Amino acid sequence: MNKSNKIIFVIILLITITVIGIIIMALSTTKQSEEAEGNGKFTIVTSFYPMYIATMNITEGADVNLYNLSEPKTGCLHDYELTTADMKLLSKADAFVVNGGGMEEFLPDIKANYPDLIIIDASEGIDIEEDNAHVWMSISDHIKQVENITTGLCKADPTNASIYQQNSANYINKLQELLATEDDSLKGKKVVLFSEAYEYLAKDFGLDVRGVLDLDEEKDISAKELAETVDIVKRDKVPLIIAEKEYGEKMANAVMKETDVVSLYLDTIIRGDYDKDSYINRMQDNIELLKGTK
Amino acid sequence: MSTFLSLFSYDFMINALLAVIIIGPLFALLGTMIVQKRMAFFSDALGHSAFTGIAVGVICGIVNTTISMVIFAVIFAILLNHIKKRNPQNVDTVISVFASVATAIGLAVLSFGGNFSEYSSLLVGDILSISKMEILYLLIICIVTIVFYCFAINKLNAISINPTLAKSHRIKVQLIEDIFAVIIAVTVMLSIRWVGLLLINALLILPAASSRNISTNMREYTVYAIIFSLFSSVLGLFISYFINIATGPVIVIIAAVIYFATYLYGRASK
Repeated sequence: MNKSNKIIFVIILLITITVIGIIIMALSTTKQSEEAEGNGKFTIVTSFYPMYIATMNITEGADVNLYNLSEPKTGCLHDYELTTADMKLLSKADAFVVNGGGMEEFLPDIKANYPDLIIIDASEGIDIEEDNAHVWMSISDHIKQVENITTGLCKADPTNASIYQQNSANYINKLQELLATEDDSLKGKKVVLFSEAYEYLAKDFGLDVRGVLDLDEEKDISAKELAETVDIVKRDKVPLIIAEKEYGEKMANAVMKETDVVSLYLDTIIRGDYDKDSYINRMQDNIELLKGTK
Repeated sequence: MSTFLSLFSYDFMINALLAVIIIGPLFALLGTMIVQKRMAFFSDALGHSAFTGIAVGVICGIVNTTISMVIFAVIFAILLNHIKKRNPQNVDTVISVFASVATAIGLAVLSFGGNFSEYSSLLVGDILSISKMEILYLLIICIVTIVFYCFAINKLNAISINPTLAKSHRIKVQLIEDIFAVIIAVTVMLSIRWVGLLLINALLILPAASSRNISTNMREYTVYAIIFSLFSSVLGLFISYFINIATGPVIVIIAAVIYFATYLYGRASK
């Protein structure tokens, strides 16, 4: 093998790969450059959907940038990995609104990387069920979250504080109206839940939760757990399973075959369109569906 | 160009760049020895033992599971090394058994209570969350590896060519092989969170294998391996930043392209 030929070959090879790499990069950056850059405005990033909707309502009309982290493609936020785009976003952010309660498992990483970032924990002072941070699923708790976010934002960005407070009061009014449509006609109704998220909803309605099976996309339910659930449904004559359509349907069908239970699929509001009334509309649907099982 | 330079305005990119600049040559050096000694499967098995290492850490309540990972991997590597020696006929079977057992125990413990998804990040890795402290660890192990390399490369070569002959030259075969296994174990464990279990072996093997395709002596072999490794790591990091996909796979794809190109060149020029 000729030595100088070999060196030429290696150089040509590496240059070719670099050029192809640059072409790929150039093609994709033209797309990205449309993304808004930090323009001196106060920049708020939210960790995921319910936080985004709440913050959107609070900051309406204020001259700020509001972004949401790129959405997890599946399931809940628990095992979400930050992408490069997220890291870029956070490095420009002034405040980061999180659900808290352990929902954002990447939070320690972010705190280590961006010590100056103001982190607003929406669940501060709220009673969190053990290992279950789906706080937004309880309207009464979500009102507290909105209050927490407002307080945090007012402190972090005093120039817009009056706008935040005004918006927040309006939004909380709407949420309170929604809360008023919940009644205790279902109080004490026995249910089995197929996602931890519904525990908060069940708390609002005073449902009698007999069992919780936490299903999501990566969870393998052991045969024993399924058998136990069937036993609970049979023993306590539980009439209703509340599940997530996407992850709970198969399991719910399996239990329905064995027993007389009925299943109801409710929305956990973890992703969707960025409409500011989204939370209220979708929660309203949940409430109506739940009331329909009376 | 300014968009290109923009990536250096982020701390996480600078950290990641430093990390791949250390990981690249480190992996290349280890890789040349691993390929030379036909230990590719061995290093792969070590990667799988990371699961058990974490599981042991979780059971013992160690907060920093990296420590338990490293300790477990070192024990695992030495044990594997010795058992391998007793069964020279079916080394691949022994390694496979060890790797499977380690993976199974790890998965069994970690999936207890349905929490496995918490650890799934280990499979793909995430170079972007590396911190300065962790880069320092990598730097230390890199220096140790370079020292070991300078000191032991000829001896390792002698062992890989003929262990008996090496022994007759008073080379401490067992000791050197154990140290080598421990260095691989520590390196793999310290970098697995950033590179990911599924791809770590590719990064160890591909640059060395590519280099082997075209090298005629040890010096070329080492130099090309380091060049290929560094090149694919740095370019892979940049590309992954701009097109927003995971870093590890991009690096491995580039390394694989180099492998096939050198393979064809090596065959054509023979």
